[in-house]
Amino acid sequence: MKAHNSDWISALVDGELTGLRRWLVQRHLRRCTLCAAEYRHMHHVREMLAANPPATPMSDSADFFWSKVKREIQAREGQTADVPMSELSLSDWLGQHRFALASAVTTLVAIVGLVFALRIPRNASSPVVIIQPPVATVEHASTLIPNTVATTIATKDAEPAVIWVSGLPWTTDMTEMKTQYAQMDS
Amino acid sequence: MRWLGLILISLALAATVHAAQVQARLIRATQDEKLADARLKTLHAQLEKKFGYPYYEQMGEKQEALKADTTNRLDLGEGFVVFVTPKSVTKKVHELEVEWTSGKASLVKSTVKISEGGYLFIKGPGVANDWIVLALTVHE
Repeated sequence: MKAHNSDWISALVDGELTGLRRWLVQRHLRRCTLCAAEYRHMHHVREMLAANPPATPMSDSADFFWSKVKREIQAREGQTADVPMSELSLSDWLGQHRFALASAVTTLVAIVGLVFALRIPRNASSPVVIIQPPVATVEHASTLIPNTVATTIATKDAEPAVIWVSGLPWTTDMTEMKTQYAQMDS
Repeated sequence: MRWLGLILISLALAATVHAAQVQARLIRATQDEKLADARLKTLHAQLEKKFGYPYYEQMGEKQEALKADTTNRLDLGEGFVVFVTPKSVTKKVHELEVEWTSGKASLVKSTVKISEGGYLFIKGPGVANDWIVLALTVHE
């Protein structure tokens, strides 16, 4: 091998030559400075390419994405991870339980209405409740039994009103009283 | 809808069950300690102040709901009956016509105004050393 041949040099760099051809090319490189320089240049380029492989552009298709996710899941299968739990705020809780809340409010309104209905008299003309002491007053008192008088005794406010019936027949016991009043016709 | 129905029924029942009650007690005012009646514990002080007797026995008691212009007949026993006819209600004060009878005799007729918890006492006939007393009140 005496002529310069870049193809042989490239094949040697790529490791494609074997046997006698490989020996002949290597012997030529030892004797030819031009081919030896070309060999070093090609070998350097090959090393640079091996150290810096070209970046493969990522596909933006959905299939590519999900296949990547699937590979990631398979790779991490069996591993454990802490998943942070979200906490519910008051507004979240109210939003989730709005039907229960509405039922509770309705029940409360019904109970309050029931209490008011039981407490407020039907004939009351004013909704304002004024607490007054218990009072009893006698407008009129009379008796039809002869020689008997019904008198109203004046009392203070908040005291029981008193009607005093004077002149009623006196009896010795309840039996006599019942007999006597049963026969009496006023 | 089921909730609403229950609420309306509850309110309707609450409106119908509300009615004032009239209560009458036949009482014997006495000097006999053995006749002292624990049922009159809350009234004892007022009875003693008005009638002076130290002991009081409850001989009968009746309570009925008042209905407008309807006469209630309260049979207290021992031949005593009270007729109560409500005439009007103004600011929780009930105007009542009251007639207390014994046998055929009308002991007293009266028109009174009683608020809730107020009392009317009527001193009636005497028996032996005691007096017969009527106590009338209204509860809401």
